[in-house]
Amino acid sequence: MKFVPLVENETLKLLKRRRFRVALLILIALNGLIVFAQTQSRERRPRRDWRVESQERVARMQNWERSGRLPQTQLRWVRFEIARVQYHLDRNMDPEAISGPIFARAFANASSYLLLPLLAILFAADIVSSEFAQGTIKLLLTRPVGRARVLSSKFAALALAITLTVLLGGIVAYLFGGLAFGYRGWGAPILTGFRLSGETFDAAAVRALPLWQDAFLAFGLAWFAALTVGAIAFLTSVVLRSTAAAMGTMLAALIAGTILPRVAPTWEAQRYLFVTNLPLPDYYSGSPPPITGMTLPFSVVVLTVWALAAAAVAYAVFLRRDVLA
Amino acid sequence: MTPTVVLSAEGLTKRFGKREVVSDVSFELTAGEVFGFLGPNGAGKTTTIRMLVGLARPDRGRVRIAGFDLQHDFAKAMSHVGCIVESTDLYPYLTGRENLLHFARMLENGAESRIPELARLVFLEGRLEDRVATYSLGMRQRLGLAQALLGEPDLLILDEPANGLDPAGIREIRQLIRHLASDRGLAVFVSSHLLSEVEQMCDRVAIIHRGRTLALGPVRELLERRGAERLLFRARPAERAAEVLMPFGRDGAARVEGEESVSSDVVRERVPEALAALAAAGVLVFGVERQASTLEEIFLEVTGGETV
Repeated sequence: MKFVPLVENETLKLLKRRRFRVALLILIALNGLIVFAQTQSRERRPRRDWRVESQERVARMQNWERSGRLPQTQLRWVRFEIARVQYHLDRNMDPEAISGPIFARAFANASSYLLLPLLAILFAADIVSSEFAQGTIKLLLTRPVGRARVLSSKFAALALAITLTVLLGGIVAYLFGGLAFGYRGWGAPILTGFRLSGETFDAAAVRALPLWQDAFLAFGLAWFAALTVGAIAFLTSVVLRSTAAAMGTMLAALIAGTILPRVAPTWEAQRYLFVTNLPLPDYYSGSPPPITGMTLPFSVVVLTVWALAAAAVAYAVFLRRDVLA
Repeated sequence: MTPTVVLSAEGLTKRFGKREVVSDVSFELTAGEVFGFLGPNGAGKTTTIRMLVGLARPDRGRVRIAGFDLQHDFAKAMSHVGCIVESTDLYPYLTGRENLLHFARMLENGAESRIPELARLVFLEGRLEDRVATYSLGMRQRLGLAQALLGEPDLLILDEPANGLDPAGIREIRQLIRHLASDRGLAVFVSSHLLSEVEQMCDRVAIIHRGRTLALGPVRELLERRGAERLLFRARPAERAAEVLMPFGRDGAARVEGEESVSSDVVRERVPEALAALAAAGVLVFGVERQASTLEEIFLEVTGGETV
């Protein structure tokens, strides 16, 4: 029995559903909205010389820093921003420059911890449970095809759908961003690799990359994070057999992941949660990690372990369970 | 030549927690026969079927299909089976053709080429390009049957195939099943809680109740075994006749069936005696006949009066 026709089946079922079109619409609507909002705010406040503006911003942030009223987490971020803007100023580069490609690149960062995981959940949460809900699971598992192959084909289809979504996200962001800020600029150098080591800004790792290369890496990392979330949502779909329950669980996890680092930044153990490790592209562009001490390789390893463990449990449960519903 | 055994179930047992829902159920199906699996709702029918098609794992016992052990050779065993387990649930957002293609892709090569022929067989040619969401229940049932036949199975397992169909639809399905068994030599396993269905369509029947097989045999034999013993007396007055006949009944009972009829379980040897007693009591006897018993009565008796 060949594997490809099975993946064809599962992919077809994923793409034919309304939810895939909804995901596409979400991508388009969200990107359109952000671009629109940005152009509006730029029009309201026409930029003066970017150099003057950036210097003012550094001065403002230094005031905050000295005021001593900032909580620890924000203080870290402010220090990082000061250093980043200053570094660009020193090299005579506009730190807030924008173009279609830069907008697309920023989309990778912005979408990695919420939007892309959300869409991955949208697909994964019902991939097995919907078969239970429709009753088609009984047809699917009474073919001359082993259960492991059925589940693998679903995993493959999910990975395909997530890949497609990340790609489409990038393309839509580029199209909209380009419409507002110009389509050129993929070759422009971009400074990346900022790091805060302890209390001081570490410029040693900063390097200039052509934007397309940087964007490629950022999207790759966002894709990886979305895949991990997909694998875990897949597990909840297998175990809970209810799309609503699976989606609810995963959303709760995502929300917890965005709240925890803010309300409990000193709780060290959260670095082992998968949600804390999702903003991979942020590391890459050099934002401070959610919890001090976390690094890109660390997060990649944590996410990989989560994904593999989720897949293992999903297989174990799916292969053994009696289908009685 | 002995007929080939297509499906054999040996001592199937399934427990949910401490409750045994299926206990030691065994039977065999040979090519060309329609086998009825009869029982009230909750008797363990569905659980048994799920064990037959590998959806549930038996705690004891085993299933062999076309000689392959279902647990060890799942794919090989299932390549001989077409089935509909508990209502035909298909993908509503796909068209009839897409549904069939979907399941054809899960079979060996060549299944796709049978789609036109099967669509004709189940009278769905004209609607194949419509989404299944727009199908009537009967159409879904027929599409489900086409799906089950895609892989040219030797064994067809149908769970309540008549469920939700109108009388015309039921007759169509029945004719189709008979045709598949008689002309194409398929073994067909049909579960049902409708006695008349099973009586009209099946060669052999198993009656299952509380997870146990209570009766198993050719439909005709089961009917005759009972019918031979029950007599219907055409007599007046019926009440008086019943009183007289009571001691002659094997179960010590006689039942008033109508204004002029009383039924009782009188053995052959005592019939003359019973008639003499009736005459002596002044009861007018117009005739005595064998009561044609139905599966329903057998069913009521073996299950201890629980209705289906």
